[in-house]
Amino acid sequence: MTELLNMVIIDGLSFALPLFIMAIGGIYSEKSGITNLALEGFQGVGAFAGAFAAVFLAQYTAGPMPCYFSFLFAMIGGGVFALLHALLCIRFRANQVISGVVMNILAVAMTTFLTKRINAAVFGNAGNKFMLGTIARFTVPGLSDIPVLGAIFTNVYPFEGFILVVAAVMSCVLYCTPFGLRLRACGDNPHAADAAGVDVNRVRTVAVVISGCLSGIAGMSFAYSISANFSADIFLGYGYLSIAALIFGNWTILPAFWACLLFGFAHSGGMALILRLGLPSSYNDLVRILPYVLTLVLLIFFSRHNRSPRALGEPYEKGKR
Amino acid sequence: MKFLRSLFFGDRFRMLRASFWALLFSLAAGALILFLMGKNPVSAYANLLQGAGLLPKLKYAGRQNQLTDFLSFLDAMTPMVFASLSVATALRAGFFNIAVPGQMLAAGFCAHIVMAALGDALPSPLAKILVLVIGIAVGAALSACMGWLKYRFNVNEVVTSIMLNSIVMYLVTFYINTFYVNPITRQSRPISDAARLTLSGVRWNGLKADFALAFPLAILAAFLLRTFLERTTYGFEIRALGLSRGAARYSGISLGQTTLLTMAISGALGGLAGVAYFCGCFASIQPGTMPGMGFDAIAVALLGGGQPLGCVFASFLITIISEGSVYMSSRLSVEPEIASLITSVILIFSACSASFGGRRGGHD
Repeated sequence: MTELLNMVIIDGLSFALPLFIMAIGGIYSEKSGITNLALEGFQGVGAFAGAFAAVFLAQYTAGPMPCYFSFLFAMIGGGVFALLHALLCIRFRANQVISGVVMNILAVAMTTFLTKRINAAVFGNAGNKFMLGTIARFTVPGLSDIPVLGAIFTNVYPFEGFILVVAAVMSCVLYCTPFGLRLRACGDNPHAADAAGVDVNRVRTVAVVISGCLSGIAGMSFAYSISANFSADIFLGYGYLSIAALIFGNWTILPAFWACLLFGFAHSGGMALILRLGLPSSYNDLVRILPYVLTLVLLIFFSRHNRSPRALGEPYEKGKR
Repeated sequence: MKFLRSLFFGDRFRMLRASFWALLFSLAAGALILFLMGKNPVSAYANLLQGAGLLPKLKYAGRQNQLTDFLSFLDAMTPMVFASLSVATALRAGFFNIAVPGQMLAAGFCAHIVMAALGDALPSPLAKILVLVIGIAVGAALSACMGWLKYRFNVNEVVTSIMLNSIVMYLVTFYINTFYVNPITRQSRPISDAARLTLSGVRWNGLKADFALAFPLAILAAFLLRTFLERTTYGFEIRALGLSRGAARYSGISLGQTTLLTMAISGALGGLAGVAYFCGCFASIQPGTMPGMGFDAIAVALLGGGQPLGCVFASFLITIISEGSVYMSSRLSVEPEIASLITSVILIFSACSASFGGRRGGHD
């Protein structure tokens, strides 16, 4: 029984934390006033860039270097791709929901196409995926011996620690710095922010790029843990799940964290249940519904009191009242 | 002269011009990609048309010719027309129906299950009509639920759509894999020919052709929808809701009722797309995937300017690319993904088509 509980905690955390970092990215973008349905695409493109860097570097060096660089390149890749969303939403004033959906479609088409091309041109094989494998997990000695809670420190992926550090920094930036204040002002009352001397469109662009970088981390984490490779299978809808988490958390970081944990434990708990009951693997699909149903039911109760940033989804026009 | 002027500068054709520019830019971008890959863009685009049966191919397999190609092109276009009409209806009332994939899957799945349970009890025409009715009912019910949640509990319809898509996809996958799988193809068991909306492989004049029975229905639906939106009170209320929520409420339009009506119509069309796709173009359902057509339909509706007849033309264009891509990729030995790449570039340009339409007339 304890083993099962440990498994739920370990798997739940490794699923929840990437969702969390992606949700923070979404909060940055939406707090600045840009609706971001494109998180799904950002994390996929980030994972693609990172996986390519890892596989490419692995030809020359062994050891942990490719892994570090992959996360760097995932952030860059996600950020650059996010720039396109920013361009459409801010410069061309496209409808932000539509732009987000289109970004996701483009991400799938582009990464599958490029993966095939690159595999053929650079690595000389005809595969449609970059093989990565999973990264080695570690266990914190001492802390892991605590009953029940020790599972938090057992079999941890290195990226989980990284994500927590980045998350702490990003929430400081959002809530404790002048930049964070300006960013939130752009989402609630861009005209006031403009009057106070803030370049609204630039702040929004930066916010969208940040959300791309953070989503890239998430995508790379999924590529290194759940899927163990990069292929089109990375687009499983986790980006949408983190959007649900941030809406749930009423566009604030800490409540979004609890929501992500809830999704993570619903996910791993369902899997553990199937294992415990000894059902065939096709029942896994049934429990995968859990986080989504949970979201839907909880949203019904919480949506009343939710308040999105006031200027969310509206392109900023100087002369408009 | 007056007509020409309004065509190029007037307000009336602003959407048409926007779509035209979007298309032109993206075809140019696609040509650039092909050119960079070292292929001839002109012959690539000609191959697309040949694959879709709009130009004659060099040679045909037995019992095939340009006509049969064109008929299967119409077959593939049918669900796209329904799906884009579904998105367009919601768009006119200011909603986003991103749940079209879920509605398609749910409607197709229910039709499959009911038809399998009934077996051969129904004669062919009745069975086909029943499939259509199931599609309409399931799609409308699902979508009306979303409209109700939106109106009653203020749940963002985009989020509900996304959740619904995943829930439907996993449920259907679970059911098919557990109870309803065809062990050889790993897909669901095929629907009977009596109930299928496409007459597949009909011998006719020495040819072997597919007839999409739902295609005339799709065109009819587009005309009916146009009349409904432009000429009836309900249609006016839907458009009023989309133009200004506040003004609509002030003038006494019931927001709840109109929201429900819009979503139900949109869902019914999405359900029709589902049965045309899963019980027409294809005879079975592949577990574990969502019909990507449902997402493409959003952009197709945009390209069509949110107008029913525009949707028909936009579906026609996008289907040329998706249908012709197989032939093009085999002729030019490029990846078939290039087609979805070109499609998504078209979508990007149509997403920011508001910037292409030129100056907006009047006060804005």
